[in-house]
Amino acid sequence: MAEQSQEKYKVTWKGWLALIILIISFSGVFAKIDGPLRALDFQVLTGEFGRVSEGIIFTGKGGTGARDGFMFALTLFPTLMFALGCIQVAESLGALRAAEVLFRPILKPLMGIPGASGLAFVSSFTSSDVAAVMTKGLVEDKMMTEEERTVFVAYQYAGSAPVTNTFGTGAALLPISVLPVGVIIGLIFIVKVLGANLVRLYLSRLSGNRGEGGAANG
Amino acid sequence: MADHTAAGIDLQKVKPSVVEEFVTGAKKGFYIGAEMIAPAMVLAYVLILFLEITGLMKGVGKILEPVMTVFGLPGEAIFALVAAFFAKAAGCATAATLYSKGVITAAQATILFPACVTMGTLIGHFVRIVIVSNVNKKWHSLLICVPLVDAAVVMILTRAVLSVMGLNG
Repeated sequence: MAEQSQEKYKVTWKGWLALIILIISFSGVFAKIDGPLRALDFQVLTGEFGRVSEGIIFTGKGGTGARDGFMFALTLFPTLMFALGCIQVAESLGALRAAEVLFRPILKPLMGIPGASGLAFVSSFTSSDVAAVMTKGLVEDKMMTEEERTVFVAYQYAGSAPVTNTFGTGAALLPISVLPVGVIIGLIFIVKVLGANLVRLYLSRLSGNRGEGGAANG
Repeated sequence: MADHTAAGIDLQKVKPSVVEEFVTGAKKGFYIGAEMIAPAMVLAYVLILFLEITGLMKGVGKILEPVMTVFGLPGEAIFALVAAFFAKAAGCATAATLYSKGVITAAQATILFPACVTMGTLIGHFVRIVIVSNVNKKWHSLLICVPLVDAAVVMILTRAVLSVMGLNG
């Protein structure tokens, strides 16, 4: 059923625009530019807290322990709410479907998995669970082999749902990181693909000399 | 089951407006903050304070110094990675705490950032991804190693990016 609706869906200009704006906004390219384009940057729009006194925000200075931890957590709520709101809007406008159009043809060379897994692939950017369920379905529908699934799952498992999790679980490091959040997500994506290819290489070597297969698994 | 709900949403004629979508997402963000980040931050701050007062932080840090130098990190940074193993949020929260204590620099926190997300919540996600997608049991141990290797690579990669950009300070 999911496959049918996948065929019918048409990516609109809104989807492309949403994807482009989302990427620009998280990449930080406009953060230091003067003029109206700054308004597209995620960090700029997240803004600043007011100062209680010279250089000190409402969390104060010199706090320790559980109380200080809680105060720090409070400072992360605006970022989290803003980021996940933006991601939700971009998703609803079809940004993921647009990304699927881009990724579908390169999945085979990138990780050796079939183009049919495109929707599961782009879904795994924002959700750990949806992609895992889809992957199971792809194998059951004979659209993916056992080995392709192992490679694909290796990709999904490491740094799962990188876009949501970098903002969500990584919220504490967002204000500290010296690299824009888009670069962090990009780095995670690179090693995810790399890890999947290590598994791919391992599996293809294994099927090459299947006789002594089991021993190497460690 | 997920397929049914996905198709169900597609069939719905009335699509929520952009404002409604934003509010839904922002609410999700609020709950992540309340349910995951705030507890993780409280735990991380208490734990780091405990390790500091007992002197364990300095001791363990010294022992692991040679290993962590490979990634451009002080030995104490291991606590962030250990916490990350259990939960991504705890790992990132610990790294943030170490930064606020002045144990690691902003650049070093940046090196830990992608690593904590990459190797984080290994056990929880093992169930949610590896078990749910029904991968053959014989690859399970192989798949557990993948995020750990990826995390090591991403730390070296981030360090390289930082030094290319001249941000390594």
